[in-house]
Amino acid sequence: MSENTFPHHHADVTHEGHVAMDSRAIDASVRLPIIVLFGNAVHWLVVAAAISFILSIKLIAPEFLGGISFLTYGRLAPMARDLMIYGWASQAALAGGIWLMARLCGRPLGTIMGGVLHSTLLVCAAVLWNVAVLLGTLAIFAGYSTGVEWLEYPNWASAMLFLSFLLIGIWAVLLFDRRTTGRAEVAQWYLVAAFCWFPWVYGTANLLLTWKPVQASAQGPIQSWYCGSILSLWLLPVALAAIYSLLPRLLGCHLNRRNLATLGFWLLLLLGGWNGMDRLIGGPVPAWMTSAGVVAGVLFMIPVAIVMINILGMPRNAESLASQAIPSKFLIMGVYSLLGVGLLGALASLPDISASVRFTGVTEGKTQLWILGAISLPLFGVLYEAIPQLLGRDCWNAALSARHYILTVVGIWMLVSIMVLGGLFTGLALSDPTVSFLNITSYAYPFHLMECAAQLLLLVAALILGGNITRALASDYLFNKNTGK
Amino acid sequence: MHRLPTLLSGIFMVFLTSWLGLVAYPTLQLGRLSPVADPETGGTLPSVYGGQAVAGQRIYATEGCISCHSQQVRQLSVTNTDIERGWGTRPSVARDYLRDSTAFLGSRRLGQDLSNVGVRLPDAKWHYVHLYHPSAVCRGSLMPSFRDLFIVRKIQGQRSDEALDLKGADAPKAGYEVVPTAEAKNLVAYLLSLRHEYPLPEAPVKKAGAAQAK
Repeated sequence: MSENTFPHHHADVTHEGHVAMDSRAIDASVRLPIIVLFGNAVHWLVVAAAISFILSIKLIAPEFLGGISFLTYGRLAPMARDLMIYGWASQAALAGGIWLMARLCGRPLGTIMGGVLHSTLLVCAAVLWNVAVLLGTLAIFAGYSTGVEWLEYPNWASAMLFLSFLLIGIWAVLLFDRRTTGRAEVAQWYLVAAFCWFPWVYGTANLLLTWKPVQASAQGPIQSWYCGSILSLWLLPVALAAIYSLLPRLLGCHLNRRNLATLGFWLLLLLGGWNGMDRLIGGPVPAWMTSAGVVAGVLFMIPVAIVMINILGMPRNAESLASQAIPSKFLIMGVYSLLGVGLLGALASLPDISASVRFTGVTEGKTQLWILGAISLPLFGVLYEAIPQLLGRDCWNAALSARHYILTVVGIWMLVSIMVLGGLFTGLALSDPTVSFLNITSYAYPFHLMECAAQLLLLVAALILGGNITRALASDYLFNKNTGK
Repeated sequence: MHRLPTLLSGIFMVFLTSWLGLVAYPTLQLGRLSPVADPETGGTLPSVYGGQAVAGQRIYATEGCISCHSQQVRQLSVTNTDIERGWGTRPSVARDYLRDSTAFLGSRRLGQDLSNVGVRLPDAKWHYVHLYHPSAVCRGSLMPSFRDLFIVRKIQGQRSDEALDLKGADAPKAGYEVVPTAEAKNLVAYLLSLRHEYPLPEAPVKKAGAAQAK
């Protein structure tokens, strides 16, 4: 039973000060690269949240920061989106994924490949990743965007990201291959799948859309496939791996109906690649493609339901200390967000509904719930769990962590519900051709105003997390060595 | 499934389904569409972009116009609003994008669809004034100003033909004029070339009477 052999000693670290030798060795082997990745991910998150806030102001006051070429909505919007995906989520997924994989496989990194390759290589790759994100962002800023949604970074920056990913991702696969823990659990499958999928999906999409673009008539399906896959086949599997591996251990109980998890894994993989196609319903692609997208969008509820059964069906005590810990709360809230994503995705992909809401805030709200909710919340959970273990002490300021949790959750649900509600209103108005487009814009004003408030909450939340992690890492650097701990 | 090769082969088989359907098939099938002959002019459809429009397409990409504007006219069994709104006379099909370097399909309509903006708004001067100060032309528009695509300069001798007719607070001081830069000219050339009103074999245009443009 793999749960019992997992060298995870969360309770020990915080309550008894005892850490098993093997998990300490594993953490030591990945400490620096994981902290570099997590630390930078959080700082990009703060930048992305700040830009998103500026964007939301621009929707209520279009002349805000007006007339400055590099601060127009059209340049800031892709910057914020790409920073959320590549700067924050993908980087946190890399960090969390490698840490979870090393722990689940029971192998310190240095013991792989004869100990030749150390964390130094990982740190170099992590630096390369961040340089690529920085240069890519500056390139959009300066007007060198490719103009392909979610792939705006110029060729050289995306090539750097690709290379950096290979240098990091290979370790996840090697760790799995050389694991000492015997039977693999579903969380490990999710990690292997995610780390294999990213190079494939990112490589293919960049090759065909930006490096050597195919004729534009073929680009639509590839763009949609990329947008769907990057979320549901790279970021979501890492988030699910965190949920599946950490929650049962934190809460001290077994997954409910564990056999279903395998089915959920394969269904998610099968459907995930197709469910981006709801972005093109009624669009210039063969009808069967969007039909397949609708079917996948609805069937996607099955793997989502399986996650619900596995996780929410666990006999946990909601009032217990373990359930009240910040990592568990983030992970559980991630599961609820996934439910929201599944429901919203299934509903919005139905042709009758899609016809009116497709280009409105409903689509944007769904994307936000994906990235901020189903993906970021579990990644926050891993972050809060991993850093104290890596540093070997409880490094978080409890008050800041609690505030970050509350503000993030309230901010996300507020943002998403306002976007969806506003999207429904504008969608209905758009379906009536007698209502002029500018009138519709004025209907959306109150929603844009509330969106602005939600973005402000999220920015404050990101700043609190930034402060918390900076404080944790800085105090470690300043004091830990002196006390000789 | 507990050994890496077995797990990997399983994963790759499943990955292949969507990859074959949504990447390989479009590349091989839609990627090989060719233009059709235009019986009226003897040219081809969709027609080739001029040099300025090709350069303007880059501006469209780098300025991120796609963040707010889509370029696709939908036709669904349940709605016809894209066509009723006058955004096109027929649904967009893959062949319409043949001449583009990037298909700017878009995913959000904070602004209007631009598939046929060259048909709806064929006046370059209108576009210049609109780009310079959108809400002066369309009250309540969310579009930001693209003033940086224009230059204010002293009138040398006679006022330039290209100078913008700006009113109110936008008007330059006496003796000065606002003229579009090369970027603005290219962008507008591109916008004006966005015309997909021609019929294609797979997308005939309904004859007048059926169209209820508003």
